[in-house]
Amino acid sequence: MKKLGVVLAAIVLTAGATLGLAACGSSSSGKEGGTLTVSYASFPDLDPQLSYSAEGWSAIYNTYLPLLTYAHAEGAEGSAVVPGLAEDLPTVSKDEKVYTLTLRKGLKYSDGTPVKASDFGSTVERLFEVESGGSPFYADIVGAEDFLEGKADGISGIKTDDKTGKIEITLTGPSGTFVNELAMPFVALVPPSTPGKPLTTKPAPATGPYELVEVKPGRSWSYARNPQWEKANARAMPDLPGGHVDRIDVTVVSNQSTQVNEIEQGKTNWMFDPLPSDRVAQVQQRYEGSQYKPEASISTYFFWMNMTQPPFDDVKVRQAVNYAIDPAALERIYAGEINATQQILPPGMPGYEKFELYPHDLEKAKALVKEANPSDREITVWTDSLDPNDVAGEYYESVLDQIGFDAKLKVVNADNYFTLIGNAATPDLDTGWANWFEDYPHPNDFFEPLLSGESIAPTNNTNLSRIDDPKLSAKIAELGAEQLSPEVEDGYAELDKAYMEQAPWAPYGNRRLSLFVSSDIDMESVIWNPTFSGDLTSFRFK
Amino acid sequence: MSRGPASLAWRRLRGNHVALAAAAVFILIVAFVLAAPLWSSGVADTGPNATHTVEKVEVDGKQREVVSPNGTPIGPLWFGAGGKFFLGADGRLGRDEMVRLMYGGRTSLLIGILAGLLATVLATVAALLAGFYRGWVDAVISRCLDLAWSFPVLLLGIALGAALAVGGLQVGPIEISSGSILLPILIIGTVFTPYVARPLRGEVLALREREFVEAATAQGAGPLRLMLSELLPNLWSTIIVFFTLVVANSMLLEASLSFVGVGVQPPNSSWGAMISSGFKLLYTTPLLTVLPGLMILLTVLSLNIFGDALRDALDPRSRVRLEVEAHTGRYEPGSEVA
Repeated sequence: MKKLGVVLAAIVLTAGATLGLAACGSSSSGKEGGTLTVSYASFPDLDPQLSYSAEGWSAIYNTYLPLLTYAHAEGAEGSAVVPGLAEDLPTVSKDEKVYTLTLRKGLKYSDGTPVKASDFGSTVERLFEVESGGSPFYADIVGAEDFLEGKADGISGIKTDDKTGKIEITLTGPSGTFVNELAMPFVALVPPSTPGKPLTTKPAPATGPYELVEVKPGRSWSYARNPQWEKANARAMPDLPGGHVDRIDVTVVSNQSTQVNEIEQGKTNWMFDPLPSDRVAQVQQRYEGSQYKPEASISTYFFWMNMTQPPFDDVKVRQAVNYAIDPAALERIYAGEINATQQILPPGMPGYEKFELYPHDLEKAKALVKEANPSDREITVWTDSLDPNDVAGEYYESVLDQIGFDAKLKVVNADNYFTLIGNAATPDLDTGWANWFEDYPHPNDFFEPLLSGESIAPTNNTNLSRIDDPKLSAKIAELGAEQLSPEVEDGYAELDKAYMEQAPWAPYGNRRLSLFVSSDIDMESVIWNPTFSGDLTSFRFK
Repeated sequence: MSRGPASLAWRRLRGNHVALAAAAVFILIVAFVLAAPLWSSGVADTGPNATHTVEKVEVDGKQREVVSPNGTPIGPLWFGAGGKFFLGADGRLGRDEMVRLMYGGRTSLLIGILAGLLATVLATVAALLAGFYRGWVDAVISRCLDLAWSFPVLLLGIALGAALAVGGLQVGPIEISSGSILLPILIIGTVFTPYVARPLRGEVLALREREFVEAATAQGAGPLRLMLSELLPNLWSTIIVFFTLVVANSMLLEASLSFVGVGVQPPNSSWGAMISSGFKLLYTTPLLTVLPGLMILLTVLSLNIFGDALRDALDPRSRVRLEVEAHTGRYEPGSEVA
């Protein structure tokens, strides 16, 4: 408990410092109002309980607020959990199982409905009803499994009092990540009358400074100021930014080069997506410092190998693949927009300690494959259709051919890719490309959903290698129950190495992202949050 | 002594110099793509799918990177490196563009010819059955053709390609994997069948009423003999003309399908797939898009010009022209949806 108190105090202090800095930053000159135009290469899910992509989370960060949220700041400061709809960070019981929060008073949804404490319970229930990919994060709330199995009408571990605004959440065991999980958009409050079906086309009323209006699936969506923000919510949450522009129009432009052109022409103010690789050098040269700046991301790009069947059930084969992958080649494929890596945890994540178990050695890779002599050499390689992931897939296929396999590439539309490879019924799931951006700034996020045996699922599977090592899974659970401390971070560093000795993945890079805005945007005011990317409340015109 | 129809057709064709030039261009293109293995092993010393991302090549005594650290591929070296990377590298994987252009042409031509053959064979069978038997057989076949015709060619091709992109095709014992070039051949051949079958059916209906068919029937010829020995020989000129046009349009459709990712699957190259991959580098290396596009343009243009001339030579009354125009408004079935 003492340890937990220290951590929470540190979080509050960091948040305070962050908000102070943010307040200082906002004093620079710039216009208020106007319409911000934005382009996305794909149309994300805008339902807060269902949205589970970098695009979607960026789009709803300032629309749907959870009880806790992340500071509107850059870098490590932006990883701090701060109060959202709740008055303060939770108090935690001695046994670290009960979290208590209090809802701020006077909050309203954008349709005028008052926000109540009991809405948290109905929101979590809705999360399970719509079979959200985020529901496993909340499965350790007492009674959640009974609710999921239809044995109970509600979740017994969530107790609320609408009069006092008190919300008490009881977990089945201690958790080192629950504070982070309370800040994820999955549990952003929606009214209890919200139907248990996907609501992207008819968005639920908002609690944040902007509400979604005019959603045209696959094509565009717009935000207008939440009419209840100034009247009610901004007064109740004075520590959260209200945004500078009055309206935001987002259009889906699938061609990233067109996105760049439209920014150069001033038709669009910001593109969410990274620059296409053949435009990076040109944009850097022309606009660095004025309209362009590189941004870090906490992410790992990797090739996964299905360990449940030949040839990747043999550790020698998986190690051979790691030796055969040349990070220098992949750096060129990504036009220098990735930093080479050979481990699971990315830089910037607590517990990251750099190591390199498999320096590029094609001959050694060939020798390992020869030694393993796998019974099946016909491999299907999966990748998505977005540039340059498709080229990375082609490269990977050629590497597998070089070390003695007969690889065939399957390029799948990016909109369906993860659904397809996460479905156990899909044939020939041998190996392929994937990436992972942090859900929250805790190393558990790179192990539990991706590498724990418990996370293997028939659909929406995120453990793509299907690795189920009981010792390593137990270590994930053990570390996940602890609050972050130097010892726990050391534990994650050891876990990183232990997994890479098993080589379920061939990690190859940490992605660098970029901010590219039109000339009339005050780039210095734009906040790039490590989890939510461009913060829409921070954009303003010069 | 009178000349035969083939001799007359050849005489007419020989007098059309534009058509002969088009045929010469097409023959040159075929020779170019057939020489792919010779260039690949004898000059470029690399295969069409071999990657050279981090390799260097010696140009005039200096080492140059095939792909620069910012991902820009090397440009055309012509003979600066002894023919290696003659047209430069194809992108960030550093494959030899010239080798891929030659091998890609083989794929595109193979798909065009086989899809054209498939469409023509299926259409001829359907037209003979519908036109000969008439009645309910004609009604069923014609409605099926109408149904297929009601879909825009490109949309139908993309829909079929996307549906079969992951699992491939499995019908009874026949199994075609999703990466096989048989899949685009099947898709393209199928979607073009109605465009050939409808005019052919019209011809069969007209031929069916001719005296020589009545005479054969009176001699006791059965349906199969009537179709194969009496009707089919009279359809040859139309079939040949349509075949050339469908080959050209099949190549265009293959390029379109590959461009949207449901045609030839990477790493295999076709001209359409090369345009698609080159398009990603349009701003820095436009040649990667222009070259395969130019090859498609030359091939399709030469085939269309030659096909038109062949039609005029084989059938000076241009009944085919009228028939096709009546149905599609154009000669090229594929271009209707462009």
